[in-house]
Amino acid sequence: MEALGEETLTISMIVNGESVVREISVNRTLLSILREDLGLTGAKEGCGVGECGACTVIMNGRTVNACMVLAPKADGATITTIEGLSSGEQLHPLQEAFVEKGAVQCGFCTPGMILSAKVLLDKNPSPSRLEIREEISGNLCRCTGYQQIVDAIELTANRMQETDT
Amino acid sequence: MSIPYFRYIAPRSLEEAIDFLGQARESGKRARVLAGGTDLIVQLRARETVPDVVVDISRIKRLSRVERMGSEIRIGPLVTHADLANLDLIREYAGVLSEAARTVGSPQIRNLGTLGGNIVNASPAADTIPALVILDAKLVLRGPEGERLLTITDFFKGPYQTVIKEDELLTGVIVPLPPPSGRAVFLKLARRKAVAIARMNLACMLYYDRQKELFEWVRLCVGSSTPKPVRMTQAEKALVGKAYTESVLQKAGKAAAEQMVALSGFRSSTAYKKPVVGDLVIRAVHLAVEKG
Repeated sequence: MEALGEETLTISMIVNGESVVREISVNRTLLSILREDLGLTGAKEGCGVGECGACTVIMNGRTVNACMVLAPKADGATITTIEGLSSGEQLHPLQEAFVEKGAVQCGFCTPGMILSAKVLLDKNPSPSRLEIREEISGNLCRCTGYQQIVDAIELTANRMQETDT
Repeated sequence: MSIPYFRYIAPRSLEEAIDFLGQARESGKRARVLAGGTDLIVQLRARETVPDVVVDISRIKRLSRVERMGSEIRIGPLVTHADLANLDLIREYAGVLSEAARTVGSPQIRNLGTLGGNIVNASPAADTIPALVILDAKLVLRGPEGERLLTITDFFKGPYQTVIKEDELLTGVIVPLPPPSGRAVFLKLARRKAVAIARMNLACMLYYDRQKELFEWVRLCVGSSTPKPVRMTQAEKALVGKAYTESVLQKAGKAAAEQMVALSGFRSSTAYKKPVVGDLVIRAVHLAVEKG
């Protein structure tokens, strides 16, 4: 059998609001493109099999494990990574609340946690603590600081409610 | 753990996809179909599979449709677990499938993983399969020679083994509308509440006639417990025509345990699973009857 060589493909995506066009090898994952080609190292590789959620990004409005998305599948997609949340030095309310509540320990899970929380608050601005826990159930924190993480998400929801009313 | 090299093809139409699969088969090349990728990417990275060609079907729009057609719902294989959990059409007419899909993996996995992938991967622990079994689902397979229709139970040969041919694609899942009188329950036992593979799961649908005080009909399927998914017919027989009493339920639980052991033989897990399957059946019947 002939050995297979590298096959490449040009893909275009909107990443954090900017149009990105790259020639990629078809056997790569979205995570490796984001980290290695685009320098967006907020999404991490933890388990590499879709269990830990450290690689979570928002793809077309939904959270996905970027380690399980074959890069060609991201062609035409809109992607938000943790780097796309703040505007310059101005942190996103979730990021502020995570800092305030001490919801960051080693920090490895934090980008994924915040993105899962963002998708939750986008569709449900006043979630219960149980709903918060369900939505972040695909993001594992090995420091086990879950209470502070849930507190931070709850605080953000409350603040966003106040600003709306 | 890098992914091995392969040729990548993303057909836009079903016809094109079938053509590619047929060509691959004729030229002796190993093709793998990519849908959500939650199983395939893991297998690729572990080099459990080293395909020559990956056929990405996720751009074929018609495979993501869900529609009601007369007395059945047709679900495209690309419908994700998140969609199954949330779509009104599925929740209303195939609620047990929604419940099952809601227990799969994590939100991120449910956003990627598809119904078709869950079926074709054929894990004995797949959560949607017991639900599809009690819904009497049928699968549409399409290959170069045309379509064939199979019942969900005829599709599986054993753990991770199905009758799908290399050049066939699962193109639809047909769920006949269950009788409106039916009450359904899905239960899952796992080590955690989320991101967990089922140690056992169970789907049950039944109608208990309160006037006549008897079970009119019962459909039961327990996953992760038999080599291929089957209805727990012995337990169903132990219930139909009988009253809702503790002793009837005990008999049904015992019948389910016996059928499981008859089908699976004694395995290292049997000491745990035999009593548990009986209790699960009893719990499910209670919950279904309590639904009214």
